[in-house]
Amino acid sequence: MSARRARSPLRSLLGSLLGILLVATPAVAQVKPAPTPAKSATPQAKSATPQAKSAPAPVKAPDTVGGFPAAKALALGERMYREGILPSGEPMSSIVSGDVQVSGTSFSCVSCHLRGGLGSWEGGIVTLPTNAARLSIARYWKFPNLSLEERKELKLQNPAARPAYTDETLAHLIRTGRDPGGTDMHPVMPRYYLSDPDMAILLNYLASLSAKPSPGVIGDTLHFATVITPEVSDDDQQAMLVPIKNYVQRHNQFSSGFGNRMYLGVGGNEMSGAYRKMALSVWRLQGAPETWSRQLEAFLAKDPVFALLGGISYGDWKPVHDFCERAQLPCLFPVTDLPMVSDTDWYTQYFSKGYYQEGQAAARYLNGLDDPTVASKVLQLVQDTPQGRALALGFREAWAELGRTPIKELPLPASGALSTSGLAAILDQEQPSTVLVWTGDSVFPALDAMTHKAHTAVQVFLSARLLGANVTGVPEPVRTRVWITYPYREPRLEPKYSAYADTLLAGLTKRHPETRISTRTYAMIQVLRQALMDMDRHFYRDNLLDRIGMQRDQILPDYLRLSFGPGQRYASKGCYIMQVGPGAVPVLLRKSEWVIH
Amino acid sequence: MRRILMALGMTAVVLSAQAPPPYTRTLETYTVPDVVLVNQDGAKVKLKGLLDSGEPIILDFIFGTCTTICPVLSAGYANLQAKLPPGGPKIHLVSISIDPENDTPKVMRDYLKRYRAKPGWDFFTGRREDIDKVMNAFNAYIPNKMSHYPLTLIRDPKTGKWIRIFGLMSSSEFLAECKKAGIL
Repeated sequence: MSARRARSPLRSLLGSLLGILLVATPAVAQVKPAPTPAKSATPQAKSATPQAKSAPAPVKAPDTVGGFPAAKALALGERMYREGILPSGEPMSSIVSGDVQVSGTSFSCVSCHLRGGLGSWEGGIVTLPTNAARLSIARYWKFPNLSLEERKELKLQNPAARPAYTDETLAHLIRTGRDPGGTDMHPVMPRYYLSDPDMAILLNYLASLSAKPSPGVIGDTLHFATVITPEVSDDDQQAMLVPIKNYVQRHNQFSSGFGNRMYLGVGGNEMSGAYRKMALSVWRLQGAPETWSRQLEAFLAKDPVFALLGGISYGDWKPVHDFCERAQLPCLFPVTDLPMVSDTDWYTQYFSKGYYQEGQAAARYLNGLDDPTVASKVLQLVQDTPQGRALALGFREAWAELGRTPIKELPLPASGALSTSGLAAILDQEQPSTVLVWTGDSVFPALDAMTHKAHTAVQVFLSARLLGANVTGVPEPVRTRVWITYPYREPRLEPKYSAYADTLLAGLTKRHPETRISTRTYAMIQVLRQALMDMDRHFYRDNLLDRIGMQRDQILPDYLRLSFGPGQRYASKGCYIMQVGPGAVPVLLRKSEWVIH
Repeated sequence: MRRILMALGMTAVVLSAQAPPPYTRTLETYTVPDVVLVNQDGAKVKLKGLLDSGEPIILDFIFGTCTTICPVLSAGYANLQAKLPPGGPKIHLVSISIDPENDTPKVMRDYLKRYRAKPGWDFFTGRREDIDKVMNAFNAYIPNKMSHYPLTLIRDPKTGKWIRIFGLMSSSEFLAECKKAGIL
């Protein structure tokens, strides 16, 4: 939504002269030291009016909007913004690039302006903010993020690019692409056909969108928490807490040096006032998972935080995930291998789909083999544990998505090891070409059944996560027929990446590479640092997640690549398929490309 | 005074970066790499065979969660399909993912559905190395998907050359370019 300006020649000339002056003057020299962040509160505005330059008086919410009760209208407006669907249920209709017809089902406001409404930058096109706090004040070409109070302190005042929007001028912009300053938006911004009642509903929603900072922004401090479930050992807790606390401490030292200083941030944005100190609470859950939701609600009520950082659990993350969805609370990269797998949930950003993703990879790899006999009859042996079930589900769903016939699954008890005779009986009975054995390393002795004459063609898949530190313990006679789903970077390449995590451990605790807790925490912090920078002073929870969605791919410890995109919630998306090499001290050998399809 | 005003006016034109540049059109020769990609149905397709088949081809680079450029490019594809006369020449629309990690066949199917794509518009993904080869072959490599740019490539079936259009076209401009390329 960067703009093409329809200006008169004289206006262009004056604008250019002013532009020359502004470009020629170092930005730092144009301002007095910015006020402390606490004084630079973002204005909260309901309706965009020219008078909104001073704090707007509270306006009573209308009883109906566009013919709908207020609450219903707000939901309908959100649907227009996010899904491109009119209150009638029909898709919104618009024109882009002059004459290209677009249906709301293809893309809508949220596609470019993003969920928090702060816009995006992609492909050389800047999409301007469309949230209430920004629409309700004038926009300036220079330092558009300054608050009105800060702007008064500029030595060289510059004219507004546009005044604050009113409902009328905003409706005009949405229909014609021209703002009240006479600027034409880029042709990629849709010009919408909207009736007056539909427009009222959309404007009503925009007036509520990121109108005031989210909870957890208190004075000059951003408040965060991290969640620890009761079964996690002290060592593992420290492996996560030490790097986070160390980072927070360093950040606070850093931010105090910048709190009152204007400087240009990444991309030339002014960052004055964007820095906040950080505070971290540790929320330790107790008792059964069924009670965690109530505990989390109590924590949040007592200690409103902006987001959850990391977090750790050996079990299912679902209770925390569901709480975050309900509370609309971002949770960044919890250390869990049992995430919630969802295409639509919004608030938890994971490293990967965990065990589920290994099951997916097995399906994709088998489906892509040139030799179809290997996948001619696949059998899943599923230990009755959350891990086993997640692996089986990942395989089952990916297999179905690939258009393959459902396979047989046999349960294994949650505890106890499968015996050699037990596995042999299953192989005799089922005659599979490939068996996915979703248990831990207790299955190793039973793999001897694969050496029996009748089963020398059988292939077996195991999970690297489930095998844990004993991943190379596969018995040598069957190693060439045992395939291991491996969700991380190749072991021989990993040490140089993981060593970076030591910088945040600072010798306070020892890193245990096999747990990957400190390294994952380090990776979370790298993404967070960039996100805080990109979020600037727009402290809205949805905006935090939007900024992560706009990050470039990251090469960090453990995972081959972390990639992002709006709504993408699982940053690492593939697995390798490995085998254990020969010899008494074997290593893992990569047997596939990064399996993603 | 007039000269000063003219000079300042020219400066204004130079400095005024607000207007998007018009699209540029060049004629290029590309060698299609010998890679196998995967389409929205999960089928493996040899790209060289597809693009060198002699049928009218239009190609672009997009990804499923793109915020700005791809939706507009894809709306252009959808409009073009809608405007092709029934029984007229068939144009194969090819979109190649630049986010192969995320763009699985399912994601690509859902994407095409959102744009009401008709048969004749295929979306391909593949190994990252292969995608990089394709981007490089068409002088379209970008290391970061968020930095990509609008590019439409029309293959002239007679000469095998590619018309490279850098920028976003209106629907009528797109049709005109197809006619100029002799595929419509």
